[in-house]
Amino acid sequence: MATTTVSVRPNTYAGTAWSWITTVDHKRIAVLYFVTSLAFFALGGVEALLIRLQLSRPELDLVHPDRFAELFTMHGTTMVFLALMPLSAAFFNLLVPLMIGARDVAFPRLNALSYWVYLFGGIFLNISFIAGGAPAMGWFGYAPLTATEFADTHAVDFWAFGLQILGVSSILASINFIVTIINMRAPGMTFNRMPMFVWMTLITGFLIIFAFPVITIGLVLLLFDRYLGTSFFLYQGGGDPVLWQHLFWVFGHPEVYILILPAMGIVSDVLPTFSRKPLFGYAVVAYSGAAIALVGFGVWTHHMFTVGLGPVADTAFAISTMAVAVPTGVKIFNWIATLWGGSISLRTPMLFAIGFIAMFILGGLTGVSLGSPPVDTQVQDTYYVVAHLHYVLFGGTIFGLFAGIYFWFPKMTGRMLSEGWGKVHFWLMMIGFNLAFGPQHQLGIDGMPRRIHTYGADMGWDVWNLMSTVGAWTIGLSMLIFAINAVRSMRSGRDAGPDPWDGGTLEWSMSSPPPVYNFAEVPVVDDRYPVWKEKHGGGHTGAVVAEPPVADTEHDDEEPHIHMPNPSYWPILVAAGMVLAACGLIFHQVFVLLGALIFGISLIGWIEEPPG
Amino acid sequence: MRALMHGTHLRPRATGAVQRVIRRVSLGAALLLAALVLAACGVTPQTILEPTTEAARASHWLFLVVFWAGLAVFVVVEGALLYTIWRFRRRRGDTLPAQTHGNLKLEIGWTIAPTILVVLLAAFTVPVIFANAQEPEDDAIRVEAIGHQWWFEFSYPDLGVVTANELHLPVGKPAAIIIKSEDVLHSFWVPALRGKLDMVPGRTSVFRILPEQTGTFPGQCAEFCGTAHALMRFTVVVEEPEEFDAWAAHQLTDRVPPTSELAQAGEALLTPAGCALCHTIRGVTEIGTIGPDLTHVGSRTHIAANTMGMTRSDLEHWLRDSDDMKPGNLMILPRPLTEDEIEALTEYLMGLK
Ligand code: HEM
Ligand SMILES: [Cu+2]
Repeated sequence: MATTTVSVRPNTYAGTAWSWITTVDHKRIAVLYFVTSLAFFALGGVEALLIRLQLSRPELDLVHPDRFAELFTMHGTTMVFLALMPLSAAFFNLLVPLMIGARDVAFPRLNALSYWVYLFGGIFLNISFIAGGAPAMGWFGYAPLTATEFADTHAVDFWAFGLQILGVSSILASINFIVTIINMRAPGMTFNRMPMFVWMTLITGFLIIFAFPVITIGLVLLLFDRYLGTSFFLYQGGGDPVLWQHLFWVFGHPEVYILILPAMGIVSDVLPTFSRKPLFGYAVVAYSGAAIALVGFGVWTHHMFTVGLGPVADTAFAISTMAVAVPTGVKIFNWIATLWGGSISLRTPMLFAIGFIAMFILGGLTGVSLGSPPVDTQVQDTYYVVAHLHYVLFGGTIFGLFAGIYFWFPKMTGRMLSEGWGKVHFWLMMIGFNLAFGPQHQLGIDGMPRRIHTYGADMGWDVWNLMSTVGAWTIGLSMLIFAINAVRSMRSGRDAGPDPWDGGTLEWSMSSPPPVYNFAEVPVVDDRYPVWKEKHGGGHTGAVVAEPPVADTEHDDEEPHIHMPNPSYWPILVAAGMVLAACGLIFHQVFVLLGALIFGISLIGWIEEPPG
Repeated sequence: MRALMHGTHLRPRATGAVQRVIRRVSLGAALLLAALVLAACGVTPQTILEPTTEAARASHWLFLVVFWAGLAVFVVVEGALLYTIWRFRRRRGDTLPAQTHGNLKLEIGWTIAPTILVVLLAAFTVPVIFANAQEPEDDAIRVEAIGHQWWFEFSYPDLGVVTANELHLPVGKPAAIIIKSEDVLHSFWVPALRGKLDMVPGRTSVFRILPEQTGTFPGQCAEFCGTAHALMRFTVVVEEPEEFDAWAAHQLTDRVPPTSELAQAGEALLTPAGCALCHTIRGVTEIGTIGPDLTHVGSRTHIAANTMGMTRSDLEHWLRDSDDMKPGNLMILPRPLTEDEIEALTEYLMGLK
């Protein structure tokens, strides 16, 4: 009860640039993640628009094939590693402490480090465009196109070091959130009462710490091949390019679940709010997420059905792939059952959440069709796969993340996004998306391979390609509308108040934006939807109970006196040292030394920093 | 809003507007449909929907199974979603809905339903996997298909024939396609004949093709392989056994000696212009192995991995500036050719029937 009484808008975000650079507050770090990942999302989007322009008509000559290859490689890499994963991380940062009743994450400085490593890693990867050419072998970097023989610039090095750096960021963040979720839940916040988004964050964290080491090893071997003359992936020296494919997809398939589970968590929290009903089958939704994650480690060769691994391997992986569809389907049924019997209000966040379900169904179904090897060998590496992956990653993840953005923007900024423009955004994006990616199913069936920069007029592919390009630009327009809406609402949007949607989870119990310390008093939780229960009853009273005052609040000012971690500039310096060292491996050895020095000194500074 | 709809005086206007909307929507739908039909009727030579072998038909059949089953699931689930949203839309005066948390029977039910579907799909799939993995017979015609950046080499080790970008097979006889790559990954794919198989450097894979229909079938590299990946196509010519034997016998002969003076000048240029460094033309020069064998290039229908026609203008263009036609290609001449040389070489090459 005490927690809902704060009514003035606190100055959570006020302060100098220096205060942002040294911040360790999870809410500010969330803002940094949002801004950066949306900027990279825009960059990846522009790359996509150029790709679509070149393919709008047969035999166009707008983009040189090598530039085209850079565009599709950087589009994929950027969207996966620089846009969607960090956008999910933005939500982890914003929400996990608020939802579990904590004042910050377990390791606030480590959290800042994750962000700075991500930012510098992303910039590092994109420097390749102006430093001799961007990587141009596709986002899964198949050997031997990555070998020095076929890629003699530093493009592949930028890619390999860049992904290593980004992996560090993801692994650190995952450890941080796993520890936070396990150790810092408020009293009464049992696993069984955690918001579904927190559940999915936890599972995603485990996926990351088990999947990323595999690509880390793959990239180390690749760098050995390139820098030290080994031949792990080169058949001339006894290696095998297929080894890379295994390593990449043992990581890569879990990676696609890393990309979807957070969005599934968001949707699982948005649907109940706008149906005014709890999530249907809470435990089943949580466990099916875990099941997807587990089985997801055993399906990787479905990306390799055309390598010729033999009928036994193909059969085994076909069956495991089809098995993944079951927990996926179960989730969808539970979401629909959540809506069933509810009082459904189609506000913008809800539209995006429903859009997620509607589009993800199709992506899941084409996924099952690809899981059947005889079908897959026909459509593998065609636009059919491009369509599938966009129905799950765009139709799924991006719709889900936008549901989250519209839902929690008020919590983060204290202001509402415009509903009207939000709806325009939604419908334009929905139409554009289906126009862009629907026809690609047909293109794949008509035999159009992916990653081609041009095609003959005799192939019968032109109408569908033109539609697809128009759709892509429609999506671009919808994003422009979103950007304008976001900027305008930030300045002059309607005041949100603490609980604009009649929400149920803990974050709706405090002012918007939340005060620096989140909770004046640590809440005690006895329900999955404590705030809802307090407002609408549910058998008990006092869902959010204030803990008895703690010893050190003996002062008598109004603002509670709460120790928050001190700001620190060591995280950004550690990150800078790390990335500088990577630059050195490409440009000049001096920077390796310099970077290592900065890294080492900052690490010592970090350790020696006195507690707040 | 609902209250307004009940006001009788508003009905006519509302219906008029509704009719207008319906008219517009149906016009739009008709236009869209017309565009779709147009597109669908267009010729798509590389479609997976016109299989001509047992293996390709098996893939196609499975595709239809997942397509129709998927469509059914799609309609049911999307329908359930939309119906739920419509039926339970918020109305004025809604009270708090019943706070249901779950239902074990339902959960079990909708776990079993998709399980049954995927078990069925697996049951359909597995036999096809094994059937399509059938080893080629011992007396199958053996063809080595070798991927190069950015063209296909086809050689028949038992016949001694070596050619490029145009694979000939006799109808009704099984062929063993022995798949390799000399540089990076490529993929061998002719949708009408069967699904694709990757060409992996350092590995040899084999699959069986038993052509049942004569005709020419387009294929294309399906694994990204560098700059000119999009321009790496080939054709399979399936012909009667007699025609095939005649073709093979002809391919075994040395090149047809040039008769005209211009063509003879062309042949004389092979070494000085640098062609011989990479190309073999049996009867003249046999040191080149990097590029396609040109002994009978004039008998093929296309050049440059089936992206240009075997025509005088395309050939001249190719010799003048191959990078303009196919950016990134690895035909690097020691020096540019003069227009006279281009004319002579073109005349010569077109005569290499
Ligand atoms: C019902 C569940 C799913 C099944 C059965 C499934 C199956 C498959 C299969 C067999 C492929 C390989 C296709 C090929 O390369 O020939 C594939 C590709 C892919 N899938 Fe899924 N999928 C499912 C859901 C998802 C989800 C949830 C995501 C991510 C949100 C996802 C993302 C991708 C991506 C990114 C690729 C393509 C990677 C690339 O080639 O660039 N899929 N899927
Ligand atoms: Cu996968």
